[in-house]
Amino acid sequence: MFDNPKHVFWQAFLAAAIVFSFGIWMGFLLENYRTGLADIANSKMDLDLMDVKLQSDLYKNYNMNINCNLAVEENILFADKIFEEGKTMERDTKANTFTEDIIYQHKKLDLLRVIFWINSINIKQKCNSSYHNVVYFYQFVKPNTNKGAEQNIVSNVLSDLKQKYGNEIMLIPIAADNNITSLKFLADYYNITYLPTTLIDEKAKFEGIVNLEELERSIQ
Amino acid sequence: MELFLPIVYLAYMFISLFMLFFFLIIFLRTANTINTCPVPKRHYSVSVLIPAYNEEKSIKECIEAVLKSDYPIEEIIVINDGSKDRTKEIVQEIMSHNKIVKLLDKKNSGKADSLNKGIEMAKGELIAVVDSDGFIQSDAIRKMVGFFNDENVGGVTSNVLVKHRKKFIEKLQAMEYAVISWTRKLLEHIDGIWVTPGALSIYKKDALARIGGFDVKNLTEDIEIAWRLTHFGYKVNMSVPARVLTIVPEKFKVWANQRIRWNIGGLSTLIKYKKDFFKKGLGVFILPFYSLSYFLGLLGFGVFGYLTLRSIYYRYFMVKYSIGAGISPIIMPEIYFTPTILNMFGISLLVLGFYFTIFAFSQMKENDFIKRKNILTLLFYLIVYLTVYPFLLLAAFYNIVAGKKTWGTK
Repeated sequence: MFDNPKHVFWQAFLAAAIVFSFGIWMGFLLENYRTGLADIANSKMDLDLMDVKLQSDLYKNYNMNINCNLAVEENILFADKIFEEGKTMERDTKANTFTEDIIYQHKKLDLLRVIFWINSINIKQKCNSSYHNVVYFYQFVKPNTNKGAEQNIVSNVLSDLKQKYGNEIMLIPIAADNNITSLKFLADYYNITYLPTTLIDEKAKFEGIVNLEELERSIQ
Repeated sequence: MELFLPIVYLAYMFISLFMLFFFLIIFLRTANTINTCPVPKRHYSVSVLIPAYNEEKSIKECIEAVLKSDYPIEEIIVINDGSKDRTKEIVQEIMSHNKIVKLLDKKNSGKADSLNKGIEMAKGELIAVVDSDGFIQSDAIRKMVGFFNDENVGGVTSNVLVKHRKKFIEKLQAMEYAVISWTRKLLEHIDGIWVTPGALSIYKKDALARIGGFDVKNLTEDIEIAWRLTHFGYKVNMSVPARVLTIVPEKFKVWANQRIRWNIGGLSTLIKYKKDFFKKGLGVFILPFYSLSYFLGLLGFGVFGYLTLRSIYYRYFMVKYSIGAGISPIIMPEIYFTPTILNMFGISLLVLGFYFTIFAFSQMKENDFIKRKNILTLLFYLIVYLTVYPFLLLAAFYNIVAGKKTWGTK
């Protein structure tokens, strides 16, 4: 029955379809696994953030005599962690082609970043700390080539700033178009109308391309 | 565009997988017969035609190789197609001490017309065509004629391999020829041989007469004749043990021109037989496969062009903004690898393609290519050499549209 040479067409098609489907299935598994890892990382950070936030709340609401140095140090450690996790999340989001669950993890991370930012403002005020909040609002959803290049350059300038000033800088990148209500409030409050925008210490605002000297001037 | 490109990539991957399984299944079905050739049931008289245009460097060696054939040759007709060099004198010198060598001297009119004139003059019932830069092995013709025991066979082609392999570009072509030879033999199983290379192919004279000889308008008469034989219901076979060595271009420009000519010829042939789509014969494999390969080549070029332009556009903005920001426009990218569906499929297919090619070499007894010293050449062949094809295809399209049809190699 299968000796007819023409049968080779459907046989090859069937074999290719089986292997291809298996590959796609493996790909979905891989993407879901990656989303799962992001969820775990976010949950861990959630815990860390709750701890950091609780410290400042205790200080703020109960006027407890907390160790400001420790609170600032914890905050900086968390900032580094959330910054690194952000990089991994960006890579994973780009890598996931067919599943969109990781986008929710990205939103969750952005929400954590916003909470962290607010907490960072509070700690700074209460502890009278000298570190600077550098919030980088960027476009996450389908930036075009022009916007992508612009954001890449700003992101590199901010990395240079962070490298130069280390723990004096609290670098908080936030995707501003992630449809998070509290973030919208903040964006309106600080009049963020253009992306990318860099906001320093909730005062100085730089829309689009900014150079290192300008940023340095605003933190000195 | 966000999901369009991944879908295009996946489509390419599926087609690649299909082709891999396609050849694998045919191989499993035909493994026992690939390297065999039927014993002739009777004697077939063979006339050898050698069309020549400015071939003073190779014509003597070519004729001598045919003269050494262990199968009795009726005659060797060298068709001098208005050569401007010493081709004619060299042939006349050989004729002086070999009675079976004949010269047909004519004004330049192209290879196909030369062959048609030679067929008119030939006495043999089988017509062997040998390019003047093709050097047949002594047993090659004997290992081909047995296929004509089947009365439906109109043409039999040989295993064309590369003679000189010193230069890098020659090595790449040698690899390519070996893989093509192997796949061509596999395609015989589904009557899918789409070319009877001029280096050495034998045709039944009656069949050539019935189909009207070679097409003088086509730049690749060896592709067109194979299609026409199939169109008229003849079978085309291949004899793997029949080996012929050929000289390949040793300069990139000549190589590119040759490939553009092949593509022009292929496209012209495709247009000529477009009505055979989905019909028995050409419509089963040759036409769909050819059309699909051209479509995929052009689509691949389009995608490549889009990505290149996007990258240039992106770099332009990067430079512009980096000047504004006072930082270096050259930013070292972070090196990382995130497994994805696409890159995992891509790597798997590259590995499978690598093994497929190595397997083809072993089947064609080209074991030198499997040695460690040739690994880089093999990777270059797989990753770079094959990706140049869409550019040549586009150049062929341009030439057709612009009305430029040239031989390209001389």
